[in-house]
This record gives sequence, C-alpha cells and structure tokens, in this order.
Amino acid sequence: MQKNNITALIYDIQGFSVQDGPGVRTTVFLKGCPLRCPWCHSPESQRFDRELNWMSIRCIGLDTCGMCLDVCPNGCIKAGEVTQNAAGDDIRYPEVDKTNCDECGKCAAACKATALYMCGDEVTIDDVMYRIKRDKPFFEDSGGGVTVSGGECLAQPEFTLELIKSCKELDINVAIDTTGFVKYDVIKSVMPYTDMFLYDLKCMDSDLHKQVIGVPNELILENAKRIAEAGGKLWIRIPVMPMYNDSEEHFKLYGEFLSEIKDAVIMVQLLPYHKMGLSKYARLLTNKQVFTAEPPSDALMDARKAQLEAMGLPVRIH
Amino acid sequence: MYNFSPVTDRINYMRNLIRDRVTEHDAELAVIMTEVHKKHAGTPPIILRPMYIKAICEKKSISIQDFELIIGNRGREWLGTSMSPEWFGTSFLPNIVENNGWTIREDGKYHNPDDEQERACISVEDYEALCKIRNYWDGKTTGAPADAWQPDFYEELAGLACSDYFMNPGGLSGIMSIPAGHLTPGYQKILTVGFGAIKKQASDWMAEHRGVLMGEDMDKYMFYKAAEITCEAAITLINRYGDCAAEKALSEQDPKRKAELEMMADSLHYISENPVRTFWEACQMAIMYQIFLSMEGGYPGCAFGRFDQYTWPYLKADLDKGTITMEQAQEIVDAFFLKINSFYGSFGGKGVNTQGIGNSYMHTTIGGVIPETGEDATNPVTYMTLESVGRLKLHDPTISLRINPNTPQELWDCAIETSKLVGGLPLYQNDEVIIAGLMQELGFSLEDARDYSLIGCQEIVGSGTDYPAGNGLNAPHASVHYSVVFGMAINNGINPMNGKQASVQTGYLYEMNSIEEVRNAMETMMRHIIKMHVSIQNYTEYLTYYNCPHPGLSIGIADCMEKGMDCTVGGARYNSYGGTATGLATVADSITAIKYMCFDEKRCTTRELYDAVMNNWEGYELLREEILNSVPHYGNGDPYADCELAWVVDTYYKICRECYSKRSKVFKSGMYGAADHIVQGYTTWATPDGRKTGEPIADAMSPAQGRSVNGPTAVLRSSLCFDHTHYMDGMAINLRIHPAAVNTETAKGALRDMTRTFFEQGGMEVQYNIVSTDTLHAAQADPGAYRDLVVRIAGYSAYFVELPLDLQNDLIRRTENEIG
Repeated sequence: MQKNNITALIYDIQGFSVQDGPGVRTTVFLKGCPLRCPWCHSPESQRFDRELNWMSIRCIGLDTCGMCLDVCPNGCIKAGEVTQNAAGDDIRYPEVDKTNCDECGKCAAACKATALYMCGDEVTIDDVMYRIKRDKPFFEDSGGGVTVSGGECLAQPEFTLELIKSCKELDINVAIDTTGFVKYDVIKSVMPYTDMFLYDLKCMDSDLHKQVIGVPNELILENAKRIAEAGGKLWIRIPVMPMYNDSEEHFKLYGEFLSEIKDAVIMVQLLPYHKMGLSKYARLLTNKQVFTAEPPSDALMDARKAQLEAMGLPVRIH
Repeated sequence: MYNFSPVTDRINYMRNLIRDRVTEHDAELAVIMTEVHKKHAGTPPIILRPMYIKAICEKKSISIQDFELIIGNRGREWLGTSMSPEWFGTSFLPNIVENNGWTIREDGKYHNPDDEQERACISVEDYEALCKIRNYWDGKTTGAPADAWQPDFYEELAGLACSDYFMNPGGLSGIMSIPAGHLTPGYQKILTVGFGAIKKQASDWMAEHRGVLMGEDMDKYMFYKAAEITCEAAITLINRYGDCAAEKALSEQDPKRKAELEMMADSLHYISENPVRTFWEACQMAIMYQIFLSMEGGYPGCAFGRFDQYTWPYLKADLDKGTITMEQAQEIVDAFFLKINSFYGSFGGKGVNTQGIGNSYMHTTIGGVIPETGEDATNPVTYMTLESVGRLKLHDPTISLRINPNTPQELWDCAIETSKLVGGLPLYQNDEVIIAGLMQELGFSLEDARDYSLIGCQEIVGSGTDYPAGNGLNAPHASVHYSVVFGMAINNGINPMNGKQASVQTGYLYEMNSIEEVRNAMETMMRHIIKMHVSIQNYTEYLTYYNCPHPGLSIGIADCMEKGMDCTVGGARYNSYGGTATGLATVADSITAIKYMCFDEKRCTTRELYDAVMNNWEGYELLREEILNSVPHYGNGDPYADCELAWVVDTYYKICRECYSKRSKVFKSGMYGAADHIVQGYTTWATPDGRKTGEPIADAMSPAQGRSVNGPTAVLRSSLCFDHTHYMDGMAINLRIHPAAVNTETAKGALRDMTRTFFEQGGMEVQYNIVSTDTLHAAQADPGAYRDLVVRIAGYSAYFVELPLDLQNDLIRRTENEIG
C-alpha cells in the first residue's frame, strides 16, 4: 500500500511509441534532468517543477476572454497590442513576462482555452499503471512494453523503481531511458526489473562533454561498463550533433568504446539532430539562447551507421 | 514476392493516358435505349430491360487499342462513358454543357471549364443527339413513380432535413435516382459455369413448361425468359469483341502482337459461352461481366470480390503447364487494375473536396481464408494485386486485405509497404470478427461467411451469394444525419437549422433533469427518424419488384437461377439491406459534454448549454473552450466518454434490428460514410460537444476531429467499447500515421503488431493514412480539424498545428523526402 503514496512529476505519457525501444511501447516521461544539453528537444523536461507554458495558437484573445489579466499575484501578465493570428484575424494576446513568475499556476487555471498551461502533472503509481494496463495488449504481439524516460527518470529513483516493479508484476517488458549520469547504486537498484537500458552517449570526449553539457562523461561511461559487466542490456542512443560528435574520428571513439562492451549492446540508435525543439523553448517563454544547426545529411547518417556496422555493431537510424 | 519493380512500356503508357484523361461522354446508350423503348413501350420491365441490353450488346461501338492487354469499354471511346437514360433521363448532360460553361475547343468538342479539377468533354454530334431526345425520358425513368407519389409521412421526413431525403420545388424527390448496386456479383459462377450453360438452364425450364404456367410458374417464366435474353446479350457482346480482335490480328504487322490478338480472339469466342480456361480469360471475363452489368444498370459500388481467389486456380494451371511466366501474369494484373481505372467517368465539377478524384468504387478484396477449410488463402495473386497497386500508385479501386491469424508475415510487410506508397490502401479487415458477425447477424453458413468480400466504401457482403443492398435508393450511404437528429432530440423535435418540427416531441434540454432523460429523448427521436427512413426504403423496394428487376445480376448470384427468382425480389441465397451512420462520435461527445458540464461537474446549467448551442456559441466562447478542453472525449481510452459512444452505437443497432422488408429480414447497421461527414457537417447546427454550425462531424467510426490526443492505440482501444460483430454493414476507423512510424523496419513491424493486437481484441477494420505533405498542407489551412496530428521524432513529440509556421514548413519538406 505504501507505494501508492509515491508520486512523481511527469510531463507526458505516450502510447504507440515505436522509437523508444523494441515493439509498440508506452513511454512515461518524468520531468527533471541533471543535464542541460543545449540541443535538448524537450526543454520542458529539464526542471523538476511545474512550469508555465504559453501557446498563442490556442488563445481566443483578450477581447473575447481576458480571464488571465487580473489573476497574476506578481503582475506578470499585461494586455498586449492588437496583432494578427495565424488565420489573419485581429487579436490581442496577453504579454507574459516570467521575470517575477513563481509558477503558481493561477493564470493557467483561469485559461479555459489552455493557451496558458502548466507543464508537469503529479501522478501516483496507480495513475500511471491504469494507463499502462490499458495499453498492455498492444505490447504482447510486438515484443513491446513500457519505457520510463525523462528528463532523467533515475533522478526520481523511488518512483521509477516502484513503477517498474509494478510492471514486472504484470510481466511487462521494461526499458529505462537514462543519461547514465546517476550513481551506480541507483542503476543497480532498478536492474532486477529492467530488461534494457536506453542509454545516451552524447560525446566521447570528456572535456568537450563538460564544456558543452556541464559535466564530464567519466561517470556515464563507467556506468555503461558496469551495467555490461552485471549482465544488463544496453540500447545505445547517440544524438548526432553537427560540429560536435558527428565526425568520423568521433565515431571511431564510439566504436572502440562500444566494442569493449559489445556483448551487452543490443542496438545502437543514431538520432540525427532536428530543429523541432525550438518551438518548445518559445512555449516556456525563456530568452535562453538555444543551440541551432543544420540537421546532419542522410549521407552523413548513413556513413556513420556503416562505420559502426563495420565494427560488428547493430545500428539503426531513428 | 513483391518488389514494386518498374512496369512494362505499354502499361506505363496506359497509366499516363488514364492519369491525364479527359472523360468523353457519348449518346450511344441513350439513343439505342430510346429506340427500344419507343418500339416496345408497355412491355413488362422484366422483359423490356433485357431487350435494352441485348440491343446495346448488338449495336454498341467496339474497339481495341494497340496497347491493351485486357479489353472492353463502357463508352464508345476508350476513356469514354455512355450514360443510361433509364435512371438519369437524357436532359442531365445537355443541362451541364449549357449551364456549366462548357465551350468548343480546337478538337471541335465541348469541354468543361479549366478551373474544374476533372476533365470532361462531349462531341457536338453526341450533344445534339442527346438534345433530340432530351425530354423523352421525363416521367419514364425508373425513379419516376417515386417522384410522382410518396407515402404521406414523406413530407415530414424530407422537410426535417435530417436525412438525404429532400423535396425539390419541381417535385423530384431523388428517392430512386440511382440503381441499388453495392454488391459483389457472381464472378465465380460466371467464370466456372459460363453464359451458355446458364442460358440452357433457363431454356430447358421454359421448354418443359411451354404453355403450362400454373401458380408461381408465371413468375418463374418471366424470370427465365429475362435470363435467356440476358445471356444471349452477353454472348453477343463477348463474341463481338472476339471478332474485333480477330480483325485487328489480320492487319497487325508485329508478330508478337498478332499472336496476342489471335489468342484474344480465340479466347473470347470460346468464353462467350463456355467456362474460362486460363488466367487471362479469367481476368478478361471478370472485366467483361463488369462492363455488361454497367450496361444493364450502371450499378454503383459493383465490386470485384475476391479477385485473388477466383483467378489463382487458372494462373496455377497456366504456370504448371508452362504457358505463362510470372512477369506476364503481373502485366495482366497491371492491365486489369488500369482497366478498372478507365471505368471512371466524370462530368467535371468541383466536388473533389468531398468526393475525391476518380473513384470507380469497384472495391477488390484479397487475402482471407479458404471457405471449405478455413486455412489461410494467400496466394501469388494476393501479392501481385498489391504489387500493381503499389507500383502503379493507384488509389482506386479500393483494396481490402482480409487478415486472419495465419496471415503470412511477408503479406503483412507487403501491405504496409503498399500503405506507405499509396496511403490509405489496403484497408485491413478482420476475418475473425466479420465471419462470426455474418453468421450471427445474417445467418450465413460458415462456408459462405468465410467467402465474404467488401464493396463500395466498407460494406461486408457474401461473394456472389448475397443481395445486400436496398433496392433503388438514392441514399445507400449515411442517409440519416444523426447529429441533426440529436439536435432535434434536445430541441423538442425541431431542427434548429430550419425550424421544422417533427411529429414527435421530445422536450428541450433545459427541461431535462438527468442524463437518462437526454438519452431517452435521443432514443425516441432516433427510432422515429430511422423507422420513417426505412419505410421509405421499403417503398422503393416495393416499386423495384415490378419496375426494375436485375436479370443480369441474378444469373450470377447463387440460388436465383435455381429458384427462378430475380435478386430484387429475394432470389439470392442471402438477403439484407441496411444503412450506415457516420460521425456517431459527435453525438456521443455531445452527450458526454452535457453529462459532465450540467449533471456531474455542474459547471453550467442545461439552460446555459442549450442557449450556447442555439446561439452557435456566440457569446459563449469561454463555455465552449471549457467543453473542448476539460470534457473527456471519445477516442482517448477514457471510459467516461467511451461509454456514451457505446450507448449511442448500441441504440442505433437495436433500432435497426427492429426494421425489415418483405425481401429482407435484416436491416444492417454500419459505421462508415465516405466523405459524408463533411457534407453533413455543412447542414448540421452547432452541437453540445463544442462543434460550431457547419463544421464537419466526426468521420465514420473515428473520434471527432482533433479530439483524440492520446495516439492510435488509445483510439483503437476506445473503439473496442462496443461489439463490432453487430455492424455487418461495415465500419471504418481512419488513423493518421506519421511517416516516422513506418520509416524503419522495426517501426513497420510495430504498425503490423498494433493491428494484430487490435484484431485479437475484437476490432473489425482499420486503415492507415500515412501522413503526406497534402495532409500537412491541409492541416495548415484548417488547424482545428487536425488538432490530433502528432509529429514524432524519437523522444520528441508535438502537435503539428501547434508548431510555428517555419517549423511546420520544415516538416513538410522532411515528409516529402521521406515518402515522396
């Protein structure tokens, strides 16, 4: 009964996930991550708290509604000037300045159109299992299951552990999607209930790793080896970032490292950088400069795939 | 067994001609039938109709093109069409030419205006020929009696504008403006028995009863006489094509083509009376019979049935004998499906937003099980069909793939690859649910149930054993507009759109004190409207018994020849009719909205919600937003909303089962509707689910547009809230799938596995539209209808319409790269 009291902050549950491990999966996205990858395509996954988001396309305009204007205790919301919406009609949107915002959510509660909305739902194990149980029939034919992702799901270890224990009670295949930047003890605790780790290897050069992401990569590489030694299965995910880790030399380093733990590697999934995350920074109303680049070409992706395959590794793109 | 390899030159040539076609109309059928009618006026229709077709088969222009491998034309020209005046009269086409701005071009023919998506023309001579007999058929068409007189409740039904029935100021009711069709003719019998033997069966009976016709013998005699004339007509037509091939062979210089034409001539002369012997003959005969039926009645939705099953034995025999190669056979299949594509005629017009361009509605079914044993029936022609559809990129005819637990992995892969190439095809149909349903709902034997096929949009029928459509009705589709009926149910029987009052009063929403009262009002109104609708259908059945028998169809349908009874009066082994409902999700979501907002959560009063709906949400925008964003909707796996959907569809089914005719004990229910949801939306007042006046209602059995936000598994799971075996008129669940879901081998497998799971859980049908750039452009133009369109890139997901324009455009470019 105790476990029902554990809660976590999640930002999405996605059915029919076909890129987060084998088969048809349901992926639970926990909110909050210790890393700050500049290319992160789900910036709403980073903070461990609920956050106010703004999506203008949903707003029906201050002249029709205006419910958000008077509710902010910190004076963050002001009426904006007349502008045009996507359909070309005149509309006045609220102007939201998050400088003094304490994420209280009063404006989101007032917004019937959900143009202002809070990202992050506090859920119990039972809440999540209710959804998982309903998706379960779709796992069985496909060899799918549940993927617990994030953010960093192992940054909320108690919840993640109880969730995957519940899955295992129902004989559901479990994948843990992790950055690997956690204490090995945490990994060890979830290992008995985990069929595979979707394991990010963002960069093989530790200095560059620290410079760009803010932390070195030794712990991540060490954890990968320890998982392999303990008999765990690794589904490696490499976000392919232009000018950062996409060179032939860099992939040589990937290949060498992965060859050391080859028996544990069931798949290497190359994920080409894309720009779609930009929209989500705008929704979070941040002024933070985000990484942009041209996505890697198909030819480059194919070449990197071939390079790793030549070293005897199973590789897929996407 | 599939590789989507390039086609032969002549197939490619033919495909380009069809793609760039200008449909040429001619007056041939109209002139021939008018002559017969003048000469034999007053002859009983069951004899007169075969007389028409015999005259047509004797006089119709016959031609074979140099690039044709499968021959036969519906009109005088290769891409032509010739309209029967029997149903449509003769003034229709001249009116279009004169009123729609057709002009004479360099080729000396009238052409429709350039701003119409479809191209059509007619020669001056044909136009003038039609003008000469322009008014001859007024009052003489098959539907004329229904225009002249209707049962006394018709005025109420038509006036309410809650169905496809209407009443024009000129008195045209449209009740019987097209023939019934919507079935799978008896190809199997025509191929294996032949017209000669069928004719003999009729002649023998008549010889035996010459001058001695007592009791029901008179009915039988009339039918057999009609069958005899009909067979003679078919034999004549096929022989004339044989003569044409022989004549062309004489002057042909290329020895290869000469041999081909000689083979065609020999085969056609043989099969005009005898059973077919080869794969080519089987394919050619299926096309000939289809053309023949188009002359008898222009039956809409006349399907091709289980093409892979009735042709494979002949291909197998040819292969065993070494008289054909697989490549040659594949070319025949290509030619077969291209020929079907040449059958589509157009009058021009701007209806493509609701109709789509170029639909023959000649649904073709593949896969499934062997009727006698229940074993998987996949054969090489199954793959060859998908190969043709995929490599020719044909969106027509509709292909249904029957899935059973033993469907081979390779066939799944081939089908999903085809979906990727042509989007939306094939439709996946679940044998387990449909076979059980046919036995339970319609009393089919196990063997006949296992031999089912699909027709028209989605309807399930026996293959050549079943007469499954209402006789002569304008509205075989989603005739009753259930969202309008719901509007009437909460408005005391008044349609808010036109203020007309039904003879049944169900009270106003603001007088209702519980959700049970709302449901009761809906059930009362549904029963009232459905029963009037079926009664009109039964009136057309009554008129058809005498006015429009179908001997050409009857000679192929099981048991008609044995009983000496036309299919329109119940000669077929199985008899049914039915209708379909589209967009019941809009009704269900409306009930859920009332339940949630007014009774359970008490966010507003029934009076407020009633006023909001009646004002089309003007002044109630916040209430509308609250309904859109906080009320649970069908399609998200939420039982709170799904149970209302289950109530609506179960009630619909229950009322349909209370209906029947003299011919058919069962009025089937179904849930599909082509593009009716768009058209019905135009004339449907605002609904309590937040939908505004004029917006589309939900499509078929799918959730309302933009209301399902939890992905395809949730949609499929929600649809399992009711028993699919009840809906033997068919069902359609349209799922949009982003290309990312099929761009890797593993992801393709996931789509297959999801379908398999859905079917194991009792799902009947699903079809996948792999999102194309067209879809994305449409979503940009109409974001509200595409709210559920998800973009997925490993670990990332967002709704397409909620992305900024530059990123949307970026995705459109990506999609182009991925699926071409």
